[in-house]
Parts: sequence; structure tokens; C-alpha cells
Amino acid sequence: MIDIDAKVLSSEVLAEGLIRIILHAPEIAKDAKPGQFIQMLVPGEAHVLRRPISLMAMDAAAGTLTLAIQPKGKGTQLICSAKEGDTIRCLGPLGTGFDGNGAETIYFVGGGVGVAPVCGAMDGFATETSHAFFGFRTKNHVYGMTQAPCAVTAVSDDGSIGEKALVTKPLMEAIEAKRPDLIMACGPTPMLRAVQKIAGELNIPCQLSLEERMGCGIGACLGCNVKVNLEDGSWTYKRVCKDGPVFDSKEVEF
Amino acid sequence: MADLSLNLCGVHLKNPLIAASGTFGFGREFDELYDISQLGGISVKGLCLGGRLGNPPSRITETASGMLNCVGLQNPGIESFIEHDLPWLLTKNVAVIANFFGTSIDSYCAAAEAFAPTGVHMLEMNISCPNVHDGGVAFGVKPEGVYEITKAVKAHSKQPLIVKLSPNVADITENALAAQEAGADAISLINTLTGIAIDVHKRKMILANNTGGLSGPAVKPVALRMVWQCAKKVSIPIIGLGGIMTGEDAAEFMLCGAQAVQVGTANFTDPYAMPRIARELDAYCDAQGVKNAQELVGTLIQY
Repeated sequence: MIDIDAKVLSSEVLAEGLIRIILHAPEIAKDAKPGQFIQMLVPGEAHVLRRPISLMAMDAAAGTLTLAIQPKGKGTQLICSAKEGDTIRCLGPLGTGFDGNGAETIYFVGGGVGVAPVCGAMDGFATETSHAFFGFRTKNHVYGMTQAPCAVTAVSDDGSIGEKALVTKPLMEAIEAKRPDLIMACGPTPMLRAVQKIAGELNIPCQLSLEERMGCGIGACLGCNVKVNLEDGSWTYKRVCKDGPVFDSKEVEF
Repeated sequence: MADLSLNLCGVHLKNPLIAASGTFGFGREFDELYDISQLGGISVKGLCLGGRLGNPPSRITETASGMLNCVGLQNPGIESFIEHDLPWLLTKNVAVIANFFGTSIDSYCAAAEAFAPTGVHMLEMNISCPNVHDGGVAFGVKPEGVYEITKAVKAHSKQPLIVKLSPNVADITENALAAQEAGADAISLINTLTGIAIDVHKRKMILANNTGGLSGPAVKPVALRMVWQCAKKVSIPIIGLGGIMTGEDAAEFMLCGAQAVQVGTANFTDPYAMPRIARELDAYCDAQGVKNAQELVGTLIQY
């Protein structure tokens, strides 16, 4: 974990409503693992909280980090306005990421901006028998399709790419054909809840990457805590920034 | 190089910078970034006997030049802190300030007493958390309540007792005086200002607790005013806090009459904020020709 001025190597539109920024951040890239994130300082003095952004790709050799950012609020808009050559203060790598755990066949599930960390997980853990399932709103929102080292099935809300279906439909069909050893997922809460239900009913190990508003990003302030179930049937709060963002789906209480 | 050190209620601090409770955990996370023994002190995450789970998410959100939080005093308990965290923290050569709270006078007293046999250097009593209904806010509103709780807890405190005051009151100077009369060794102010944040598109509250505590640069002018007013009324030391982001911000609080300051929200913006603020305060003192930072205290030129 280190706080550095990362240089913007490129910033371009990745898909509708999504900007891809590639940073030169060798000190972070050398230690970064799939599913981890960085805390990006918003330029200017008006914003006191950093923005947690997950890693879409990390290249230790090149010293680069690839991010997919949705410029939804003022802070992310300011971050996305950074041009090639600018620097952005970044703290990372942060959090507990995905764990391949030696799984032979992994099914990856991503929805919307949640496809980005899933791409990072695929780079780290995908095998030839693995399969990714991505859900997008329309064909204009599609990204992350080319770098996958395993088969990818995309669906969309309007049928403009792949089937007009929820991502859980092709996921279920694939599970029925071949049961995976592990599922890794990131996306909107309804999608994660559906994936959690499938994994739970079929008793398939599953890891979910969660999103929450964050303060410090390093586990000190407890601002991003979410409810998790414990094995003895009780529950507690855990830190998305430190204990997560990736949790065992059995733990997660939506 | 100015001398930044001070003696606060008999406790030596290397510099007047204390990490504000709730923003710094028990110091472990920040110690991974820099040696926390560079700090004057650490006011640890607010503790109670038996621990507390806190509020449901969302607990934090940014606002204009500030942020709101409603963590709700989640903590592992004084017992757990003393067993698992304090021994480590005491190796760090930094003043350890145990921030604590209770839900009744008895539980406040028992909490203060629990620290008596430990190496904690000071106690900071939270009678002003705006985010929990039974977290002592009732004691922190009126001077009579501040007096009653301070008097009772002081009798059970071995270490110097700091009373942390709420700004969400009619006249904070009345509460400062009540704390002093009841035997408080110092006061710290201000805790957060109660506020709300709204998701206008969903027409919904952002924080699950509905209300939260406002901190950051947005509250600094209010905090400065309150420290300045209290400094004119009380003779016990004042620890000022509220939106300190730079060494000059820290100096402003000292000019108003604070001997020491606390840094909270800035730790989120810049995880290296506190060592940086110490360097900046040092540079400010040099530029002002001040040899000891304590010479700044209460020297504000007023109209």
C-alpha cells in the first residue's frame, strides 16, 4: 500500500457512460491483485473523500493499472477530466480481492461497471474451461470482451447484443451443462443477489465483489461496513475496504 | 525548526497534533503508511464496555467541502481494545487518548474506571455523538447534564479527563464552563454538526441513519468561532478540531486559544496528512519567528 502521483497514460471512452484510464503506477501495479482497488484523489480542494475505483487490469511488468470509471457524480467527472500526462494521487493497492483457490473451472459474472473487476479476475484466474457471462444495457455499453482468455457470453437488456436476458440465464444453462468449481461476480445488487441464490442452492463456492461508499479506504474509519453472516448464525459488520471488497457469497447479507 | 512540543495536563506531546477519534482506528492502518510515533497523540476510535455494532450502511457520504458520517460508534469494546490493541499502541511512543462513551452515568463511570489500570495517557469522554440515540448525547446538550456526567466520571478517572463538546447546543461556552466546574482537565471541540444529505433523483435520504455528523473544511469557521469563545471563558486547556487540513489551519485554532488540535477528515483526503501538517506548522512558526508553537496560543488579534 502506497500513495503516489500516478501519471495518466491514456484516457478514452470505453463504452457509453464509461471512461477507460490507464495509469503509470508501477509501485501499486507490482503488488496489485485481481479484485483490489485504489483510492483516487479528486482534483481541486473541494472534495474531501477519495473515490474507490476497482482495477480492471494490472501489469506489473509495464507498471500500469487499467481502470473503467463511470463519471456519474462530480468527483468521478473531475477524475475523468484528467488528460494524458496529468497526474492523479492514488492510494493502493487496497482491499482483499478474488481468490482463485486453485479452481479448475471458474464462471465469471459481471454486470455494467462491475464487468471491470471481473476482467481483472479473468486475467488472473481464467482457465480454458472457464466461462464469463456479462450483462450490459445495450450493445453501446459493451466492453471488456476482447481481453478475455476464456469464452465470453454477453447478454443485454434490449437484445442489441446477445440474448435479451438477465445474465443469470446463460449462467444457469452453463451450470446445468457443466458445474463450475467457483463463481466470481461483480455488478448491481439485484444481479449479485441472484448469483448468490444460485450458488447457495447448488452449493457452488462463490465470491462476490461489493461496492459501498467509503471513507479512509484502509480499514480505519468503518464508514463502508456491510452486514455479514457468521458461521454460528449470528452476524456482524465487516469493512468493504479491508475485509472486502470481495466476500464469500455465504457471508453476504443484502 | 520550531519546538512543537507541549505539556497537556501533565502529558508530554511531541507536537500538538492528535488524530481525531473515529478517523484513525487504533492507529494500525495508518502505521502501515508512516510511523505514527511522529504524532503528538492518538484519540482512538470511541469505545464502550462490551462493544457496539454501530449503524447499518450507508454510513458515510461526501458533501460540499466536507462529509457526513453515521458510523454509530461501532467498536470492539474496551475489554478487547485493552487486550488486543493497547499493548501494541503503547509501544509506539505516542500519547494514547482513550475516547469512550456509555449509555448511563454508571456505564460512563465504569468505562473510565476500566482504563485506570492501563497505560492509557488520557481519557476523552464523548458526551456528544449525534449518531446514536443512547450514546450520551443527552448528557452533552445542557450545561446541567455536562456538569453531572463530568463530575461523576471525574471521580472514577485515574488519567486526565478531556470532555469532548458538541456544537449542536444553544451556547457551547456554558457547557465548557460546566465541564470545567465539574473538574474536567481539558475540553475538546467541536464534535460534528448534525446534518443530512439527500439523493434528489431518488428523493431519498443518503444515510441509513437519516442524519449524520458533518466534518471537514465546511465546519472550520464554526469550530474556530466556538474555540475562540470558549477560550475566553475557561482556563483549562482546549483541544481544537474541525476541518483542519493544513498547518496553517492548525495555527488558526491555536491563535484562537487551543493548546492542541485534532485532525480527522483530512486523514481520508490525504493519508499522510498529519506528518505533513506537522511540517507545515513548523514552517509557519519559522515564518512567524515563533520558537515554540505554544507561543501562538490565544494571540489572535481581534477587532
